[in-house]
Amino acid sequence: MRKKSKWLALLLVLGLVLAACGDGEGGDTTTAAGEVATDVGVDLEAQTITIGLLSDLSGPFAPLVQVINSGHEIYWANVNANGGINGLQVNLEVRDTGYVVDTHVQLYEELKSQVVAFGHSTGSPHTVAINSQLQADGILAIPLTWYSGWSDPDINANLVPHGVPYCIEAMNMLEYLTLEAPDAATLAIASSPGDYGEDSNAGARLAAEELGLEIVYDGTGLVDAADEATLAEVASGIAGSGADLVWVTTSPTPFGSIYGQALAAGFTGALWSGAGPTWNPALVGPESPIKDALAAEFYVSAYYAPWGADSPGNQEVRELVEAAGADPLDYYAEGVIEAKIMEQALRAAYDAGDMTQAGVLAAAKSLESVTFDGLAPDETYVGEPNDRVQRAQFISRPDPAGLAEGTSTGVTLIESMYTSPIAEAYEFTETCFSLG
Amino acid sequence: MTGHFVVLAQEAGVSNEFAQTLVDGISFGAIYALLAMGFVIIFKSTSVINFAHGGLTGLGAFLVAAFVTVLDFPGRYVTVLPEWGQWTLNVLTALLAAALIGVILERVFLRPMVGEALFAVAIVTLGLDIVVRTITNDWIGTNPRPLGAPWGLNVVDLGWVRIAWSEIVQILLTVILLAAIALFLRSRTGVAMRATAFDQETARAQGINVGRIFSVAWAIGAFLAGVAGIFFSVFPRRATGVDQATAFIAFRAFPAVIIGGLDSIPGAVVGGFAVGIAEAAANTYLGLEFLGSGFPGIVGYLLMLVILLIRPYGLFGTPEIRRV
Amino acid sequence: MRGRPLLHTSYESDQALLNTTAKRVMFGILLLILVSIPFRVVPGLKFLGQEDWLRLLSTTAIFAIGALGLNILTGLAGQVSLGHSFFMGIGAYTAVWLGGPVGGPFIGLGLPIWIWLPAAGIVAALIGIAVGPTAVRVRGLYLAIVTLGLVFIGEYLFRNWNSLTGGAQVGRDFPRLQLRLWNEEAPLVDFTTSGSWFGLDLSGTAKSFFVLTLLALFFTLLAKNLQRTRVGRAFMSIRDRDIAAEIMGVNEFAYKLLAFGISSFYAGIAGALLASFVSRVIPERWDLFLSVQFIAIILIGGAGTVTGTLLGSAFVVLLPRVVQNFTLWLQGVAVQGEGILASIANVFVATSSNDFGLVNTFAGVGPGLSVAQLNLVLYGLLIIGFLIFEPLGLYGIWLRVRNYWKGWPFTY
Repeated sequence: MRKKSKWLALLLVLGLVLAACGDGEGGDTTTAAGEVATDVGVDLEAQTITIGLLSDLSGPFAPLVQVINSGHEIYWANVNANGGINGLQVNLEVRDTGYVVDTHVQLYEELKSQVVAFGHSTGSPHTVAINSQLQADGILAIPLTWYSGWSDPDINANLVPHGVPYCIEAMNMLEYLTLEAPDAATLAIASSPGDYGEDSNAGARLAAEELGLEIVYDGTGLVDAADEATLAEVASGIAGSGADLVWVTTSPTPFGSIYGQALAAGFTGALWSGAGPTWNPALVGPESPIKDALAAEFYVSAYYAPWGADSPGNQEVRELVEAAGADPLDYYAEGVIEAKIMEQALRAAYDAGDMTQAGVLAAAKSLESVTFDGLAPDETYVGEPNDRVQRAQFISRPDPAGLAEGTSTGVTLIESMYTSPIAEAYEFTETCFSLG
Repeated sequence: MTGHFVVLAQEAGVSNEFAQTLVDGISFGAIYALLAMGFVIIFKSTSVINFAHGGLTGLGAFLVAAFVTVLDFPGRYVTVLPEWGQWTLNVLTALLAAALIGVILERVFLRPMVGEALFAVAIVTLGLDIVVRTITNDWIGTNPRPLGAPWGLNVVDLGWVRIAWSEIVQILLTVILLAAIALFLRSRTGVAMRATAFDQETARAQGINVGRIFSVAWAIGAFLAGVAGIFFSVFPRRATGVDQATAFIAFRAFPAVIIGGLDSIPGAVVGGFAVGIAEAAANTYLGLEFLGSGFPGIVGYLLMLVILLIRPYGLFGTPEIRRV
Repeated sequence: MRGRPLLHTSYESDQALLNTTAKRVMFGILLLILVSIPFRVVPGLKFLGQEDWLRLLSTTAIFAIGALGLNILTGLAGQVSLGHSFFMGIGAYTAVWLGGPVGGPFIGLGLPIWIWLPAAGIVAALIGIAVGPTAVRVRGLYLAIVTLGLVFIGEYLFRNWNSLTGGAQVGRDFPRLQLRLWNEEAPLVDFTTSGSWFGLDLSGTAKSFFVLTLLALFFTLLAKNLQRTRVGRAFMSIRDRDIAAEIMGVNEFAYKLLAFGISSFYAGIAGALLASFVSRVIPERWDLFLSVQFIAIILIGGAGTVTGTLLGSAFVVLLPRVVQNFTLWLQGVAVQGEGILASIANVFVATSSNDFGLVNTFAGVGPGLSVAQLNLVLYGLLIIGFLIFEPLGLYGIWLRVRNYWKGWPFTY
């Protein structure tokens, strides 16, 4: 017994020493050695640039974010191999926030003196929590969420969003569904609580109004992934409403449960869709009992092109991922898109001679056109909110056969860079759902 | 819990939502009963409050998923059986593996704590739950793992009530396991277990190998947790399979244990069904509007609080005799 | 008397909180170090002055306050409670009800910190007292499960009370650590922004660190004092033999209620401070894992001792950072090192998706645990390890070390 606690004591001391060793005097500012100004995160002597990633690697969105981070790694490795940013090599500092707000804030504080900008920040309330500090510190961050608030000028001084926001996405998809089912007159909506579900369903309500659809069931904010009672309740609500169209915004597992229960209750014939993160190819995996029904009734919404799409951007992603020896997955594209935005911001900052944190921020906010060669619609960060908010997206159908054979990532693209008339006409001046 | 069928019953003009609620409640209660029974068996035999039951549930379900879909062992070698026969064989193997892991966990982590304060041991199981759950969730990975159940989404429609095939299997299996446990407790080992539960020291003095009884208790507990885990991970609970949230479900079974009484196996079963029916009733009759979402999830605890006020040792628990 | 530190010649000196010279000296040194941390003057501890470490230390102070409360309830009075996070949530939401902005989408009364902070503790204490009768009725491990139920019921309430908490997954902003006299625009003292105190330039984080450490010291003083008062002795007698205590005249009912009340007061204050410090909290924050963290602090530190609780708080809060640094260091060794050490490191760490390792240190998908999962596993293993091998926790280890040196060179 005694010996063991001596070892424990020794381990503790070792741990403390290592903690101390791991942190030298971080965050020293270096003055420019050449013609480019730097402060934090860019080391002209060592020829490195450090980008921070505040990722959810162990929480509810870990499936997507782990792959997205791989996408970052693969892309930057390629950029570095081809000369980097004017000779500067880009390194990533990744931190796992576990989707917990205080960990997110804590890790932001830890990284802000090591990185020049944040390659992504996972989670809307999390990004909101660091937003005022981002503004106080003058650092750039790319939000890894599609909350419409990031296009709201009152909120987004330090943020560069990408991809169609949730509420406009809902407008696009519902309008497309009415094209596919012209006789549809009723709509059922449901979602997880929070910015994700509320923002998306706010868009769904706006779309219903424009399209003349009657909302016969509204389960906004009721879906709780950890509580099957809510899933059953929502499923029975949807099934009982007899709606022609269904819009459910949540994560894949509760969605599968809701869909399966509605299906078993005899609810068929409606067209289903949901926000991008609702979809996961595993829903139509070979063992999934709902794959055939889902393939017939579901429409997949996405912010970027799926793996198998035919565009130079997709080709680039495929080559990079295959060279890295990884399996095909759609999410790599998201990592590449975020990395490309950051790359263009860094290059613009270098050309402007200012690679301080504030300089990179200013460079990003003055990018007029960020292109992705067909992988995603172009983005612009100058101009009126109504002009620069993204309205184009991708629509696909599930492809269980292709997934089983290994010829696709589970989806077949049917519409590329689609914008619906109602989304086009929508006046965007502020966020669809206020996070308070 | 499966109130979805109630709405459809209403739609079809069938006013027997009470019967449907009852059926839903019994089928969900069966899962809780299995969890509570395993918990109480462990408690009675070893005096350990096993907070790790949730972790064991997730582990059992994951092992089933692994044996069925990834390994297909030993089903693929026994080609004489039909599909569902192979599936059953795989499931049994997986559950035996879960039982074995339960035995190992007890031996490694809990045997050194014999004789320590009950609070300390309970907290050790809390720590164990964290470890088991985290490692299992890491193996499960980020996508849910389907269990390949042969009955799929099939539902039996009796007109006045709808019941899924998986629920029928669940209730039947719970009854069979209950009977098996009852029979087991009359066997030689079962009597030894009852003796150990009654008075550990005297049982040792009588020549009973208490260590082996502990292992048997944990094996049974892990086995039952695994079975409950399976039914948590198939339709109609989750069509997609076992995922990282499965292990947390077991916390809803704790009220069932307390309601029945910590040291009463029949009490655990009664408690399990009570909580299941209460949740189903809350789901059907207490609409979601004013109560918000998630209320049926805490109904079990509220019921537990009410019962504890009347009977502080649960419905069938034996009152503790305290000596100064 | 010189050289005879344990010889006390008066009741006061025996009961004094710092009753030996050694303790007084150590305490003085500790205070000096704490004050000097943001100024980075102590060699070897300079890294603690960085912003993120200051934040960690401030969080340690907040967790210490909460843990002291749980220590009083569980370590001193012997009542098992898994419901600590519920009371923290109550404290936080009381604080935001009273201190949140008026108007706007959520409930708020705009009151200053000297109202909302104590109120957070008081309201939590009142609810703790309301829960108390259950503790008398129900004993031991039944109580543990009842308090477990509190956490779930609390989570349900917080998730659904949108106008107060902001609603599930969304949350709301919390009043900051700023001292105002009533509700004027500019605060009298602002602990969150950089400024100058007594001619010294301090960042907002450093100011918060001082305030929170001061509060933690204050509550430590209260808790340590409690142990030597009548109430404290009553608690300990209930913990050890509650029927005997009742016979001797200790009113078990009243004291159990008091124990719950006091511990919930601490929890409420800690919850309000935590929410204010992080500035935005979602209702799911007050979950079972938070309660388990406090149990871990008590057990790892040493149940029933104030020093142990403080050690435990530091340990549990700083553990994730230490683990992170450790794995990064291992990664460095695995990638750039040579020899046996590098190969051992390589087994532990996976540096890319093709590499095998127990822990992933790269950015993407792969087998092996992520650093956060490694943290969780270590939490669990440490709880188990301390309970099996060193039930007295860190304090027990400290005792052994101290006794070793006390008797040196006659250590046998």
